Amino acid sequence: MLNYLWAGMIIISIVFSLASDVSDELNNRYKNGSVLNYAYSESSYAGAISFKVAENTIQYSQLESLTADIKIAINNTFPEHWKNIALNQAADNKKEIRADVISIDRINKVIQLRLPEVHWVKLRAVSNAAFDMAEFAIKLAIGLAGVMALWLGLMRIAEKCGLIGYFVRLIYPLLHYLFPRIEKDHPVFGSISLNMAANVLGLGNAATPMGIKAMQQLQELNKTRDKASDEMCMFLAINTSSVQLLPPVTLIAVMGSAVSELMVPIILATSASTIAAVISAKTFARLRNSQCN
Amino acid sequence: MQLTSLLIPLLILFIISFGLMKKIAVYEEFIEGAKDGFSTAVKIMPYLVAMLFAIAMFRASGAMAGLISVIGPLFSVVGIPAEVLPMAIMRPLTGSGSVGVLSELVVQYGADSIIVKVAATMFGSTETTLYVLAVYFGAINVNKTAYALQAGLIADFTGFIAAVFVCLWYFS
Repeated sequence: MLNYLWAGMIIISIVFSLASDVSDELNNRYKNGSVLNYAYSESSYAGAISFKVAENTIQYSQLESLTADIKIAINNTFPEHWKNIALNQAADNKKEIRADVISIDRINKVIQLRLPEVHWVKLRAVSNAAFDMAEFAIKLAIGLAGVMALWLGLMRIAEKCGLIGYFVRLIYPLLHYLFPRIEKDHPVFGSISLNMAANVLGLGNAATPMGIKAMQQLQELNKTRDKASDEMCMFLAINTSSVQLLPPVTLIAVMGSAVSELMVPIILATSASTIAAVISAKTFARLRNSQCN
Repeated sequence: MQLTSLLIPLLILFIISFGLMKKIAVYEEFIEGAKDGFSTAVKIMPYLVAMLFAIAMFRASGAMAGLISVIGPLFSVVGIPAEVLPMAIMRPLTGSGSVGVLSELVVQYGADSIIVKVAATMFGSTETTLYVLAVYFGAINVNKTAYALQAGLIADFTGFIAAVFVCLWYFS
């Protein structure tokens, strides 16, 4: 299923952006190649002219610039078409357009401009997103290394002084129900219960390192080396449904004080999703094991 | 609401001082535990790259808007506001993406609207399933995830439906 979901996302995104770009091309959404005429007035010094696009006065001096293009800084007062081109052009600076000066009609005082052509906007966006995200994934992993080291270090201390042992004994009935095949004193219960506690308290960055540690210990118990065990699936399902009593920090950041009245709905919804996670993981496990026998 | 920010320093204080009380060599044990943080992060990298780039492409392509216009009407039939669908689709895929969706909804409808309340409850009640999957299985180099994804998505889906109806009931 993961294979299909993954490939599906990639294929759908490319097909979708290709379709939307082809439709842009056919409708000539960006009016590629069209020539714009503007009446200009001559400035005080020789050769310099100025013209207006919406409210913006643009200066151009043929003597100063040998290349026949104008750099125009785009702001909100420009016409929609200009803003569209600025935003979607291939050039990196999205706040500026380089318009070609085709001709200057000195008799009628008209300057002819051609704006840059815009092609394959979505496809460009999709491939940029892919490479940016690939880079970001590594940064994320490096950041995780630090957080992991910190929490795993603290966890080691807590383990050595027996704190984790107390805690495991406290919630052992629950752990035994979720993971019936793991024996009582296995250290994996320590990581699992800490991960759950971190989730419940909304400490996302503590939950991940402890979850990873738990997965590593579950892997030691796993008889099918390269394939996920039932315990792993159960553990993952519980984690993705995240039992939370305190709302996550990011939610507080976005919602502000409005979060407090959401506490009850969140607890109810997250309980529902966790119960669904446990039931479905147990059902899948039963199905898989009955197939094996 | 400041409870969470208070919690971490207190927890660290508690662990360190309890360790000292039990005469543990806290510094040495910390190093011992922290040792494989980096190697685990390196192991996770290919999994994260694979997952995140596919999700990023999906987001950038605008395919989600198309998807919503197809399945949106189906949801309105059973009384789920179509405006919260982007959250339901985004939440299992990306954490930052769903924060973005939520912020947009807050700007558009205001933090007091039922739409934002439903979306925020969805956000708070589940996790970024694909990220968790990539990180957890990446750390142990297990590629065959059996039914983990299915179970996770079923949990997400239940959470979303529950979020909608709990909010509609609670705020009515």
